[in-house]
This record gives sequence, structure tokens and C-alpha cells, in this order.
Amino acid sequence: MKGYRRYFLNKALWFVVTLVCAFILNFILPRLMPGDPVAAIVTRMAVGMSNATGVQAIYQQYTELFGTNRPMLQQFFIYVNNVFHGDFGFSFSQYPREVADVIKSAIWWTICLQFPAIIVGWLIGNTLGALAAYLKKGFDKVLMPISIFVSNFPAFGMAVILMVVFGVTLKWFPTSGGYGFDRIPDFSWQFIWSVIVHYQLPFWSIVLIAIGGQAIGMRSMAIYELNADYVKYSRFMGIKDRKIIGYVFRNAMLPQVTGLALSIGTMVAGALVAEIIFSYPGLGYTMLNAVMGGDYPLISATTLIITLMVLIAMFLLDIIYGFIDPRIKATQLD
Amino acid sequence: MWARSRLTVCTLVAAVLVLGLTSGLVFGQVLERSETLYSNGQQWGPVVGWNPYSSSMNNAMAIAQQDSARVIMFETPYLYNMLDGEVYPLLADGPFTWDNQRTYITFKLKAAAHWSDGTPLTAYDLAYTWDSNIKYSTNAGNNFKDYIDSIIPIDAQTVLVNAKLDANRKAINPLMVAAYLSGNYVIQKAWTQTLEARAGGDATKFLADTAEDVVYSGPYHKFFADDTKVVYVRDDNYWGQDASMWGKLPAPRYLAHTIFKDNAAGSVALAQGEVDVSQQFNSNIQVLWLNYGLPISTYLPGAPYGIGASLPTAYYNLKSPGLDQVAVRKAIAMAVDYPTIIANAMTNQSATFDQVPRSLMNPTPGEQALYDHDAVKDLQWAGNDAAGAKALLDAAGITDTDGDGWREYNGKKLSYVATCPNGWSDWQASIEVVAAAGKDIGIDITTNFPEWSVYQTVVTKSDAPLPAGYDILMMWSDGAGPTQPWGRIRHLLSSEFVGMANNWNGNWGQYSNPDVDALIQAIPAETDPATLKAAYTELVTIYLTDVPSFTLMYRPQNFHAVNESVWTGFPHQGDGTDPPVPPLNLTDGWSIAGLYNLTLVVP
Repeated sequence: MKGYRRYFLNKALWFVVTLVCAFILNFILPRLMPGDPVAAIVTRMAVGMSNATGVQAIYQQYTELFGTNRPMLQQFFIYVNNVFHGDFGFSFSQYPREVADVIKSAIWWTICLQFPAIIVGWLIGNTLGALAAYLKKGFDKVLMPISIFVSNFPAFGMAVILMVVFGVTLKWFPTSGGYGFDRIPDFSWQFIWSVIVHYQLPFWSIVLIAIGGQAIGMRSMAIYELNADYVKYSRFMGIKDRKIIGYVFRNAMLPQVTGLALSIGTMVAGALVAEIIFSYPGLGYTMLNAVMGGDYPLISATTLIITLMVLIAMFLLDIIYGFIDPRIKATQLD
Repeated sequence: MWARSRLTVCTLVAAVLVLGLTSGLVFGQVLERSETLYSNGQQWGPVVGWNPYSSSMNNAMAIAQQDSARVIMFETPYLYNMLDGEVYPLLADGPFTWDNQRTYITFKLKAAAHWSDGTPLTAYDLAYTWDSNIKYSTNAGNNFKDYIDSIIPIDAQTVLVNAKLDANRKAINPLMVAAYLSGNYVIQKAWTQTLEARAGGDATKFLADTAEDVVYSGPYHKFFADDTKVVYVRDDNYWGQDASMWGKLPAPRYLAHTIFKDNAAGSVALAQGEVDVSQQFNSNIQVLWLNYGLPISTYLPGAPYGIGASLPTAYYNLKSPGLDQVAVRKAIAMAVDYPTIIANAMTNQSATFDQVPRSLMNPTPGEQALYDHDAVKDLQWAGNDAAGAKALLDAAGITDTDGDGWREYNGKKLSYVATCPNGWSDWQASIEVVAAAGKDIGIDITTNFPEWSVYQTVVTKSDAPLPAGYDILMMWSDGAGPTQPWGRIRHLLSSEFVGMANNWNGNWGQYSNPDVDALIQAIPAETDPATLKAAYTELVTIYLTDVPSFTLMYRPQNFHAVNESVWTGFPHQGDGTDPPVPPLNLTDGWSIAGLYNLTLVVP
């Protein structure tokens, strides 16, 4: 157990170091982008204004308000102080909305779309990949080309095909929005049904692409493991096939689990393509606009969330790996 | 055991269904299609708030103080009509009048006008709105404070607007004084005082307040808003149903705007009947009725489908070597293939320059009548005229002296970068055509498309010459409005913007001409139509002679396509309305009159 504690502390230390570096980069990198975010705001506000000095007054008002006229170091300490008080400040692009409010209203759409899509894509993909490795022959010959084809499909292409076929032509599913264009959200069966129906095309546009990639990865790992010495040895020992397959897929699963953890960690970045093609609410498009508009507080907050989620996912994975595969812990501690 | 479990589950499901049915859980809240008018193209992100003093509410349907102000929730004394250039009373009772020296305006307010809380709308509200605009440095205040001295209530129904006067005791700009009345809201004094108390006198808090409790005078107000849509519901106690204004309520009970994330999604929704009024660029709009037979139409039945109002313009950086020469500037403009720009970038949703010859005016009849077409006829160019452009350059001695295929001026190769923001696809297509024109006449023009955040930062910095990479740049011009075409000309040509650190006004190529400045200074105070026409003709003459920039296409004030699956009676050319209802989404200026003309296709 002593070894585990050292392993855990080692991982925790690296977690903190990475977090601090990421926190600083999250602040600095957006501010190194060329362009003046306040200028973008003023452009929007100055539409129809004829008075030259008036426009300048607006510009000065907002540079002062957002603090972009202060030295970078001063801005950083204000940022740190605010973040420790749970305050990410105002969003530049959606002022006077606060960053927390922007994220709060969009993040649930993103999580509800991304999390099930990642899990379903992972489960189906890995099952198919494992079956292809085990069954071989016809199943493998059909599945592999399809998987390669689908996994290399551009995300926007898949989304557009699904929309045109199932939305525009067959009219089975709506083409845009998170729920019916004629509905007001409430706790009713019809609203829930509307959400489910609107969910289908964005969901499958993500899942179908994910399945292919997962299946290919799992198939390769499973074939490698099926030919490993321990499998042959187990067979010589007369161990039942079912038991051997259990060992094989547990080992083949390890890299796939790492991929899953990373996917879950980055999921709040949003499914940008699905959001745009299907006008689906979520954080991806919000982030894109934040980046395009130089909305520093919103960029910093969202990237901080992503950083934290990835770090936590990787940290937990490291800890779990330490338990389920002692070889990893031993190697790391050497 | 299993049978008993199944029975329990069935009973539970039945109970939930019965409960749901009886409590309205099953049906939820639906906007009846026959009561709702759906729009797109105005609201591109979530609504942030409802504060009419603030310009940062991103509440496009409700808050837009502009030439044709958006008046579904907050109202202006007058409504501007871009089709005839007139203003019509809304809150005001009858036309406004200037005194003989044009130093102040007086007008009356309608006795029937009242706020959503039932209290009368008075001159005290109007005066307090102006004072608050100044006190809290709102856009309206900043925009008009150089032209309006004060707004004073004579009595509850009578308003006096004092113009700021120059050293000669003349109004600095009577045009701008009058424009305030059709472009800016009247906000309730009592509610403003509530807001002030809440903000504690802090201007930033005052403007950042989301004003969920705002009192309004217009026919609609907030019903619902989230990240996917915003819905406004009619106020059935709206004062405008009085005989002194509309005499009835607007037809739709709800106005709804779905928030789409790009034009493509909006176009699909329009085709599917989920949008009634579309204010976005729908590429090849005619396909929807010609190929698919959908009940979709535009203001005009054929190209250009709408009324052009603004002039997207290519500005020359006049400090770039060679572009300080009129011959080079005019040659490039002559060689540009405008029909290709109009066909590709605008999918023919722009009048051609054969239909509306270039000038400083938009294609509306009112502006076209303001200058003498024959006087500038010889200065016009057709476009796509490489031979003419080459001849012009040759005559100016700007030729290819070193035989590399590119012309030189003062021994330096004419090489430029044409630019516009990345992702603005119609502009990018236009800039590519400009670059192609250069190659046809021996001028090397390449393209570059920076991100908008970078582009605007560079372009709006007019206190220094534009940097490398910004030789020919595309920007917008003013649309239609009560100060036009004066405002547009000022923004295109006035040297007052040269030297500004943050110039969002215009003249981004930094053109300077004292004759032009003098004319721009004189026009607002001029009332004699003949003198005005002469002044505008002279400005057009100078513009077409000096070519500091050139118009690439005509663009409508708002795109306007309608789907008549549910509602009909939308504005169309020759629809018999008098005054004619302009195609501005049934929300802007006199266009709101269109909401009272709508009827259901299936009553």
C-alpha cells in the first residue's frame, strides 16, 4: 500500500503542476491573439451612429469596463482573484451576460449530446471491433471497409447527409433546433418527446463516425492479443475459450479506455459541426464565437473547464490503472 | 409473481398518463401556428436583456435604434419609410414643425398613447429619456449630443427640441436633429427612475441592467427567451388600437424568432415553413419557388428581388504607392466584372449597374432623384472593360517598362493586396473578382482574408497609414434613412475621420478633399431642392472623377423573403398599400404597418 501512496502523491503533484501551467496558458494565449475584442463590440454597437466622438466614447467606456487598457500582469492578478471567488466576469461577446451564465445555459445541451454519443459510439464500436477480431471471415471483411469508410467521413458530411436524407427528404426528423420550433420548454411529455426527436440526427451524426474509429482500434488490439503467447499457452492448458476471451478483451480494452477518458474529458468543447449544421444549442458554437470575437473571459473559462476535466479524467485513469495493472505503477515508480 | 409485476407496472403507467392528461402535462405549451409569425436573420445569439437604453442587449427584434427603428416593443415619435423617404407619426400627433430659423422643432404627442402599465405617455417621458441618454452616455446620447441642445416638455402633450447652434446662431445639423425623432425610443420616466435607483447612479450598472421589469409602449413584449429562440407576445391593451393610430391590433399574437447558427439552417427552415419572414441572405432564393414550387416570394418578383439600400464598397488605401494615382484607381474599377460579382456573390439579389448607374446614391427612387444623371453620364464606367482600363493606364504613362508583364509607376511594380474579413463569403467572392480584374490589366492584385477581429482592428485605426496588406479593402456604407444620402456621403468621403484612432464611421481609405468637406458641411442646413440637387451632383461628379473607392454591388437594407404557407398579405411591390409598406421584416420603421395587413391563408 506504501507503493500506491507514493504513486498517488506523484500523480497528484504532476496534476497540480500541469493545472497551474494550464491556468496561466489559458489566460495568456487568448490575449496573444491579434485583434482588439473591444473593437468588435463597438462595431456592433455603433451601427447607425453618425457621431465620430460618440463612437470613440463607447470604445473608451468598454476598454475601461473590461480592463483591456490595463497592463497584462494587472489583468492576470485580477483574473486570478476573480476565479478564486468563482467569478469569471462578464462575457465580452454577450455583455452584460456573465460567463458563468453563458456556460450554464449551454453546457447541459453539450453534455447531454456528447456524453451518450461518446459512450454509445464507444460501446458499439468496441463490440463490433472485438467481434470482427474474434469471428473474422465474412463479418470482418464487411465491417472493416465500412468502419474505415465511416471513420474517415468528415463530420459535416455525415451531418449534412443525415439531414438531407432523414430531415429534408424523408421528413422523419426535424432539421434544426434542440426542441420544436413551436414549443415553449416545460415539463410535458410532448416537450420531452420533441427534445428526443430533435436529438436523433445530431446524436447519430456523432455516433456513426465514432463507431468506425473505435471498431478499427479495438479490432487491431484484439487481434494482437489473440495471438499473444499467453493465449496460446492458455489453450494448451485446456482453459475454456470463454475464459480466454475474457482475458483477451480486458487487455485489448486498456488503450480504448484511455481514449474514452480523453473523449469524456474534452466533451464540453462541444460537437461544433453537429451544433452548426442542426442549429443545436451547446457550448461548441459559443466557444467558436468567443474565439472569433476575442472574448477572453469566456475562452479562459471554457478552456479551464476542459483542462480540468481532461486532467481529472487522466488523473483518475492513472489511479485506476495503478490498481488494475500493477505493471504501470511499477514502471512509473522506477 | 411476474404477472403481478406486470400488472403493477401497467397500473403505474396508466396512472401517470391519467395524471398527465388531467394536469396538461401531455400537451405542454405550444405556440399556435395560426397565431405566430416566425422570423429569422435578426437574432443570431441568445437575447441578453431588455434595457432600451443599452446597445448591448443583443435583443435584435425588440431593441434597434437606427434609421428605421425597430418598434415592436419600444416606440419612436415618428416612423421612417425608406420607400418614399417620409416620416409618419407614431407616438407623435401630426407632423413636426421647424421654426423659421430652423433652430428648434415642436410636435405634439397623441393623447391616446399610453404605457404598458396604463399610464399616459407624455412629453415629460420624452424629455427625461433625452436627459438620461446624455447623463448615462448611451449610444443615442453620444450620437446626437453634438446636434441637439435640449428636449423640453412645453406641456404634457407638446415637445420642444432645441438644436445646437453654431457661431452664426444656425443649427449645426438640422438633418440630425430631425432624425432623432424617428430613430430613437421614448422610454418611460417613472421606470427610468426605478432603474436609476437600482443602479445607484452608476452609469455602467444603469446600462448593464437587463431590465426584465421594463415598461414599454409598443404592441409586443417578452414572452419567452432562451438559447434557441425568443418569443414576444402581443399586448392586447396596446394603445395603438386607438382610431388615432392603427385602429386595431397587429394580426399575429406572437412574434417568434428561432436562433439559427448559420444561413443554411435558416434557409432550410424557411423552405420547410418554419419561418414566415426571412431577413437573411438566402442564396439563389428564386430556386425555392421556381424549382420547388414553394409559396415563397420576395419583395420584387424577379431579380434583384429586393430594394437595394446600401453600397458595399471597395476602398483604396490612398497611401499605397500607385493608388495615389487616379488613373490606377479608375482603371481597376473599370476592369472589375460587376455582373459576375452580382451573379455569384449576391446570386442576383442586387440591381446591376446598367439598371442603377453608380453614384453615391442607393437605388431607391427618392435618392436617385437627388442628382443629375446626365451631368455625370460621361464619368460612368460599365465594368469588365480591360481594354478601356489599359488605354487609361497607357495614357497616364503607367506601363510595363521592364517587360515582366506587370505595370510600374515611378519604377515600382504595381502590386497590391485586396482584402476583406474571412468567412464573409459574398465579400470574399467580390474581392476575388477585383483581384482578377487587376491581372487583366497588368496590375498584380492578390487576396488576403484575415479574421474579422483582426481586420476591423486594422481598418478602423485611421490615425496612421494602413499597414501592408491593406491596399484595397472592402467595407460597408450606410443604408436608407432620414439623413441619407448625406450620411452615407459623409461616411464615404469626409476627411473628419482621418486621424481618428478608432474610426468606425467610414472613409477608411483616408480620402481628403476640402471641396467635398465643404459640401458635406453645407448640405444639412440646405432646404432649397435645386441647390441640394446641384450639391449632390457635384459630390457624385467628384466621386466618379477621383474614385477614392467604388461600389461593388447594391445590397438591401434587410433581406426580405416570405413564406405564405400560413400568413399572407406581406409587403410586395405594387401591393396597393399607401403609403407603401417597405420590406423591412414588418418590424422596422413604417414596415411595422405590415403586421396590421397580415391575414391567415386558412382563416
